[in-house]
Amino acid sequence: MFKKNKIYWFEGVTEKGVKALLNDENPKYRWLRQQRNRRILVILMAVGLVLISMGSYWPTLKTNLNLSPEVGVVVYSVTAIFVILAMVGGYSFLRIAVRSIADAPDELLDERQIAVRNTSFRYAYFILGYVLMGLMVLMFFGPELQMFKPEGNDGSYLVIAIFFTCAALPSMILAWRERDI
Amino acid sequence: MLFSMSRNPEEPVYNRIEEARTALGLTRQELADKVGVHYQTIGYLEREEYSPSLVLALRIAKALNQEVSELFSQTPFKKGK
Repeated sequence: MFKKNKIYWFEGVTEKGVKALLNDENPKYRWLRQQRNRRILVILMAVGLVLISMGSYWPTLKTNLNLSPEVGVVVYSVTAIFVILAMVGGYSFLRIAVRSIADAPDELLDERQIAVRNTSFRYAYFILGYVLMGLMVLMFFGPELQMFKPEGNDGSYLVIAIFFTCAALPSMILAWRERDI
Repeated sequence: MLFSMSRNPEEPVYNRIEEARTALGLTRQELADKVGVHYQTIGYLEREEYSPSLVLALRIAKALNQEVSELFSQTPFKKGK
């Protein structure tokens, strides 16, 4: 009999999807189980987050490269789309690398997985607090120190970076610290 | 390590899960299925990197036909005992 696939809307996962990752049903993701590869993915994600958060500086880079305004806009837009798509792809791989443990509901995990998931969220919460504190300092002192002058939509890059950080940080911590996942 | 997985790293819980499991000819996956956990959790338990809850300890003892006190101890087990 066909069993209905339960969707966990709040967590953004499905029962079959999580169980498939937990039970290694797809061998093509085995390379993501190695801690070294998971850590490389975490580093790439962190670099991507920094790149997005610095989106406000990209126009300055465009000016420094002496590109014409038309070419500059194309380069700027394509780069922005590429970085954001790369982040979405990286986030998808990250979820696979940690078997969706950071996103799965309690009923699909065992007690150790729930314990490590909860610990990762606790640390993610602290790290996020420090990141936001750093941004607050940057917003406050940046204009004074000629470091950061947000104009127009510049702040939207910070919001996008924070959104990705909130979504990915627990999985990044799990992927970094767990020897076996 | 950034943070420990053990419930209380100062007070380790030693176990004989691997010995009892292999004596019954069970794989980690088979024991995991019997007690309702992921197979890697059995690995963490056998390496004494994770201390189980009382409920899980009771389920493991039942699956391995042992008493909890025969499987778990706060002092290291003597080899071959």
